[in-house]
Amino acid sequence: MMEKLRGILLGFTRSLKRHPHIQFMVFGALLSIVAFLPHIGIMNFSTMSIIAYIVIYTVVALGMNILLGFSGLISLGTAGFIGAGALGIGVFLGLGLPFELAALLTVIIAGGIGALIGLFSLKVDGIYLAIATLFVGEILRQIYTQVAIFGGEGINIGGVKFLGLIELNQIRQWNRSYLFIILVIVMVIMMMVMHNIIKSRTGRALMAMSRSDSAAQAMGVSILKYRLTAFILATVFATIGGILYGIYFQQAPTRAWTLNISLIIIAMVVVGGFKSIYGTFLGAFVIHGIPNLWLKELFDDVSYIFSGILIIVVILFYPNGFVYVWVDIKKAYYKYKLKYAQKKKVTADEE
Amino acid sequence: MKNKVLELDRVTMQFGGLKAVNELSFSVDEGEIVGLIGPNGAGKTTVFNCVTQFYDDYQGNIFFTNHQNERIDLRSKKVTEVIDEGIVRTFQNVELIPDLSILDNVMIGAHNQFKTNIFAHILRTKKAKQEETMIREKAMEVLEFMNILDIKDQFAHGQPYGILKKIEIARTLMANPKLIILDEPAAGLNDKETDELAEIINNIRENYNASILLIEHDMGFVMEICDRVCAINFGQYLAMGSPKEIQSHPDVQEAYLGKDE
Repeated sequence: MMEKLRGILLGFTRSLKRHPHIQFMVFGALLSIVAFLPHIGIMNFSTMSIIAYIVIYTVVALGMNILLGFSGLISLGTAGFIGAGALGIGVFLGLGLPFELAALLTVIIAGGIGALIGLFSLKVDGIYLAIATLFVGEILRQIYTQVAIFGGEGINIGGVKFLGLIELNQIRQWNRSYLFIILVIVMVIMMMVMHNIIKSRTGRALMAMSRSDSAAQAMGVSILKYRLTAFILATVFATIGGILYGIYFQQAPTRAWTLNISLIIIAMVVVGGFKSIYGTFLGAFVIHGIPNLWLKELFDDVSYIFSGILIIVVILFYPNGFVYVWVDIKKAYYKYKLKYAQKKKVTADEE
Repeated sequence: MKNKVLELDRVTMQFGGLKAVNELSFSVDEGEIVGLIGPNGAGKTTVFNCVTQFYDDYQGNIFFTNHQNERIDLRSKKVTEVIDEGIVRTFQNVELIPDLSILDNVMIGAHNQFKTNIFAHILRTKKAKQEETMIREKAMEVLEFMNILDIKDQFAHGQPYGILKKIEIARTLMANPKLIILDEPAAGLNDKETDELAEIINNIRENYNASILLIEHDMGFVMEICDRVCAINFGQYLAMGSPKEIQSHPDVQEAYLGKDE
């Protein structure tokens, strides 16, 4: 009986290894359990909201990882695009468009702005690009606060109707759980999209471009095309993150999208793991989750000092991100296994 | 007479007041291995950069006969289009992607052979998957040819220099090249690796029907594998001929060893 169970488990882990998409789905399914916990009294609804934040940040940070980890580019304007997602969906829903169309329009418009930044990035690099995008973010925020269509302080979105059938309003507790599951589903889809991109010609071209642009060009990789691709992807991910914010919290503030958020997103990539999809989630969890879930209750505002120290420690010991701790654990395990096998062999020989 | 693959016609490249390449003309025949030699700073790499259109503001003309036997003016091509015509190069300081596997590094050489676009890749359509598998298999063949198939899944980072050079040559083979341009392929290799490289280059000519133009400072290597050698100094043509002729050419000796007073 035990042997059989072990066999099933082994087969399961093996197929997980072979099919990363199933891995993402299992991950999403496990995370979805959170949606039910508040109803059986294990978790507060506010805790679920913190985890919803982590999911939203993960989607945004995945886009930042394409930019930072794969393409060697940077943007400090990410917050502006999260805002574009949230406010965009608010405006279009306010006009009476169905949710799906509104989301599509928002993504297309924001993607267009991303393409403009991509064009701009051909002229500037490194720190100059960072400063330029910083002001793109600020300009966007100014637009949100000044232009009347965004309602001054923000837009109240209210219940959102999906597929023209189901209206979910976050006032109702069960609806909030359904919204959480929608968030997780979108995150899993975005993880798959990211996986498919980086394991394809596009991913290789992005990496070639960032590691050696002369070799990339000699191999036929157009720098223009792939800088645009990188920036459009990053803005689309950020905008989708913003849309998720809009549908979960069902309001879109105008003043919240500050540089602070853009920096937090970068920190998530750095701390979690460059080029790693799970690392990005881990980064979002460490940066947003740990202080808000536990530390804040214990230490109040001092908790940010702890997360600050944590970030510095991670950068010192794992410059490629926290997720690479796993690699070290694996290495240690194999070393141990090897040593153990050798020991066994030696004793067997002696006998 | 054999067909000419590459023809340089009075090519001049100027950086400010310095003429790095000055009215240089020479040609490479089909199936030929040509060495481009000259002392440091003679303008060899500049010639390569002109041919591959990294510099497009040279004077003179560079013609190339592509796979369709059309004689084209390379100036009409962008740097990223040169590879489609069948010219592919390596770099003096190996330019690979350290954090990709060797197999993926090689697959970049086939970048322009993909017909499917990013949306097909995101959705993993059947066609996209087939294409990826096809190119992966081709890359494995190339790696087998280069004798490094067994380490295909390792990162390029941390590999010995000899392997890095092999990966870079393997990457050029992915592009169905008609002319391979090698910038100091033997630099930094030990004697054994250099011998192996000579064998590989000869095999490339036979198996891939490609002409090869190479820069090299290892004269033994150049003399061994090149059919013809072109010597330049201060960007100017000195002589072209069989390795033996070049070795005994007074101008070449002067350029390398200096003039007897």
